[in-house]
Amino acid sequence: MSMAGSFLGGAKNRLLPASVPFRFFLAASGFQVLAWAMLFVGAPDLAGYAGGTGPVLAAIHLLTLGVLVLCAMGASYQLLPVVTRRPMARTWPARLSFWFVAPGTLLLAYGMANAALPALFSGGGLVSAGLLVFAILTGNNLWRAGNMAVVAAHGWGALVALAGFVAIGVLLIADFQFGLLTERREMALVHMILASFGFMGLLVLGLSQVLIPMFVLSRGLPARLGWAQLATGIAALGLVGAGVLMQNPGLMIAGFVPGIGAVIAHFAAMRTAFRTGMRKRLGLSFILIRASWRFLGLGLLIGLALVLGLALPGGPALFGFVVLAGWLLTFLTGILQRIMPFLASMHASGHAGVPALLSDLTAEFPLRIHAVCHFAALTLVMAGIVFDLTLSIRIGAALGTLGALAFLTFAIILVVRLWALSNRA
Amino acid sequence: MTGGLPDRDWPGRHLPGRHWQEGDGLHIDVRGLDPPEPMVAILGQLDQPDQSGPVTVHHDRQPIYLFPELAMRGWTCTQIPGDPGEIRLRLNRTP
Repeated sequence: MSMAGSFLGGAKNRLLPASVPFRFFLAASGFQVLAWAMLFVGAPDLAGYAGGTGPVLAAIHLLTLGVLVLCAMGASYQLLPVVTRRPMARTWPARLSFWFVAPGTLLLAYGMANAALPALFSGGGLVSAGLLVFAILTGNNLWRAGNMAVVAAHGWGALVALAGFVAIGVLLIADFQFGLLTERREMALVHMILASFGFMGLLVLGLSQVLIPMFVLSRGLPARLGWAQLATGIAALGLVGAGVLMQNPGLMIAGFVPGIGAVIAHFAAMRTAFRTGMRKRLGLSFILIRASWRFLGLGLLIGLALVLGLALPGGPALFGFVVLAGWLLTFLTGILQRIMPFLASMHASGHAGVPALLSDLTAEFPLRIHAVCHFAALTLVMAGIVFDLTLSIRIGAALGTLGALAFLTFAIILVVRLWALSNRA
Repeated sequence: MTGGLPDRDWPGRHLPGRHWQEGDGLHIDVRGLDPPEPMVAILGQLDQPDQSGPVTVHHDRQPIYLFPELAMRGWTCTQIPGDPGEIRLRLNRTP
């Protein structure tokens, strides 16, 4: 049986059509621009932000739903079937979930920025519907998973957290109209913790068990570390969540013990991957990924300081920014710039069905601009929060927008090259 | 399937999967391994300094994420007949 062309043709059956993951990744790249631009608008409110509608809330959701969740959805649709060895039965629900979440996020962000209830309700409804479709598809795949139990268990944990943060999110939106909640601030904090550490955190920790070894070409990671990070992570989420709802600082402090344990287990697993990896020159993407882990550690320390009642200028805003932008956004842009060319290479088979070279698909210069602007933006915004300097936050947000535009340029160039190579083959 | 254990001094012996030499070159069996171990096993062998191919891979699925790595290293991949349920690949270094 011959050869490269037919072989790759068969292999492509295990890939989703390029349009499915790339619509999520391209949209996420676009939402990153909007999130930083919205932060630029809301810069004067950021340092003292403690909840409520306005541009800061809109920026947070453009980042979380628009960038982080869309990335997580696209990556999960593409990677989980490979990890679990169970192909996705149909692709149209994945497309449908995109058309719920992406426009829904825009509506929701508009409603949050302008305190417009109709947009809040319709946007929240669309996003919830899209996430429900995602949860059903992912749950179905995990249910049929025959191997990689530790990754599948992280996926289940993430789905439980997803149900929790979506339910609370809907309650919070309804509360704008009906005034249902007596402890709105606490509910909003649990919503944020479940979304960032629960849903995104568990997905990131779980998929990293496969992705990082794949990128550094290391042996599979010790399963005991994966189970340890999952068990301690879930214990931390439960304790901190209960502590916030019961307004019990003792429970919250107790929750940080397993939380720190989860991070240590994760770092130990990642260290094993680096130590045993065959690929030593890891490039720009791993500068971002390694930096994101430092922000995760920093975020936990800031959270602990807040729970212990230490006076930290702009503490709540700093905690949210370090976790969402420092850890999760930095990590995902690092991962995206790695997996997008990889996937495109598979879809853009060139001569005789041989995959296109990654170097032919990747525009390096925009990625360098993005990295420089991204780190400068993080530094300036964090300094602006701590010292209550609107100008510093504004310059940081402007640089973040510039970096995000550079990242979007990289993503567009990649898709154009993919399209050109696909048509030529 | 025929074959034997690899030489104790052979530098690729620490890699996952089973490896053995036959008349047509190195064989690697990565069936049953979880990702990313099959890719690590295969690329680890290809990256050995004295490896010029051909290499035969016994797999249980289409290794989709392997192909960009092969292309980068200048190797081509061909599917050849294998046992039922097996994906057998012949890897050759591009001249």
